Amino acid sequence: MIQPLTFARAFVWAASMTLFSGAALAQQQTPSAPGPARVSASASGASSISSSSSVPLPAAASPAKPATGSASSTAKSSEAVREDETSLIEGEKRFATNCGRCHQAPHKFPPRMMATIVRHMRVRATITDDDMRLILRYMTQ
Amino acid sequence: MALLLAPALYAQTDGLPSDGPIRPVPVFTMGSGFITTFQGGTPNLGPLINPVLLVPVGNNWLIEARGDLESSLAPPPGGSGYTGSLETNVDYLQLDYIANRYLTVTVGRFLTPFNIYNERLYPIWIRNLQTDPLILPLEAGEYGASNGGMIRGGFNATSRVEVNYAAYVSANSTVENLASDRSFGFRSGIFLPGPRLEVGGSFQHLLQDYRKNAFGFYGEWQPRSLPLDVRAEYARSYVGSGYWMEGAYRLSQVPIWTSGLRHVQMVARMQQFYTGQGWSSDVPSVSTNMFEYGMNYYFRDDFRLVGSYGRQFAPFGGNMNVWTVGLTYRLALPLGHGDIR
Repeated sequence: MIQPLTFARAFVWAASMTLFSGAALAQQQTPSAPGPARVSASASGASSISSSSSVPLPAAASPAKPATGSASSTAKSSEAVREDETSLIEGEKRFATNCGRCHQAPHKFPPRMMATIVRHMRVRATITDDDMRLILRYMTQ
Repeated sequence: MALLLAPALYAQTDGLPSDGPIRPVPVFTMGSGFITTFQGGTPNLGPLINPVLLVPVGNNWLIEARGDLESSLAPPPGGSGYTGSLETNVDYLQLDYIANRYLTVTVGRFLTPFNIYNERLYPIWIRNLQTDPLILPLEAGEYGASNGGMIRGGFNATSRVEVNYAAYVSANSTVENLASDRSFGFRSGIFLPGPRLEVGGSFQHLLQDYRKNAFGFYGEWQPRSLPLDVRAEYARSYVGSGYWMEGAYRLSQVPIWTSGLRHVQMVARMQQFYTGQGWSSDVPSVSTNMFEYGMNYYFRDDFRLVGSYGRQFAPFGGNMNVWTVGLTYRLALPLGHGDIR
């Protein structure tokens, strides 16, 4: 048995710290609500289990590649962009279909944090490997 | 022990290559809330904190743990003020190994996979109504968790059908805060991503006490054209049977005062419980019907004001009103550099 006043004080303190830290984190976070899919120049991820918890880096974090002026490289580049765009649109769809089954759609978290959360949800909500990979890709762009 | 070892294990996998894949980082999250309940006119203050720790190790491992700290503060009979005790419990403390796209192996203490409420909808920041369904003890047992091993997974059977499953074996435990029943069981479901419909069933056999079976069914549906969630569960065991049905509608499509109403969710739930041959202190002692209406206001996706009104119908003076009002909040923090830059 504990003193109710003591517990109430402890709870108020914990709640205050929780709200404060949440607000502080929100200021550090990447842009909030999941918006329309953006296009990046990174290649699409493989679907093997070894890659299930990792996706290629977003364009902002990838090393810059020198531009070549040849027609073939331009075609390859536009093909990659198209694939990437399709992947992100599919990821957004999977995100809405799977995550909304249990809770409100969360805002975006930093990429490495998102990778952990998606792995957790794969186990907790038994989402498929493909869904996990596409959702992670969408949520980290 | 796992919590102590986790940072050391993670440290061995740290070191992000500048052009490599995204390496997951340990995460601390916490669901918290303060719910005030008026049951038959008697107030009850319910502060609750659920800290969660997620520690990924390598590409295929995950350590996850959730604690439960809650209290129920009520005025003593004939007295004033509020008294109560702090209850602590370990909801789960498990090690997951993602073996392949079809199979995940889990050992440790895990939430009992029976229907979907206990595993997916129970957290205070997720549930639409703050009162537990009457049949929850039939599904999750007395402790809500099991100690042992489990296999589970989800995969695409066809391009339009996903299958998910979980099967487990649990040992009896009387360790304080880690208690569980000796049992085995499974849950399996089919999810149709097109219409966003999932249906499934569960089975459990208790290997102690009554040594009886329990089974249940569940379904959930989120139509694409409406911000509506429809969920239902049915469960039957030796100590009783019953069901609940719930609908939750987000007012984001109402054409008036859209800036305010898009944050509002209306909820309705009806449930019936029927007593069985056995007896348990966790379920009503008489057959009980209940309906509830609720309204949730989402300040953000992780912070909301919740309220509900319910009416319980039961013989022998069991008719009463049940009001709840409170706040729920979820915190999430990376334990390390969350960004890849």
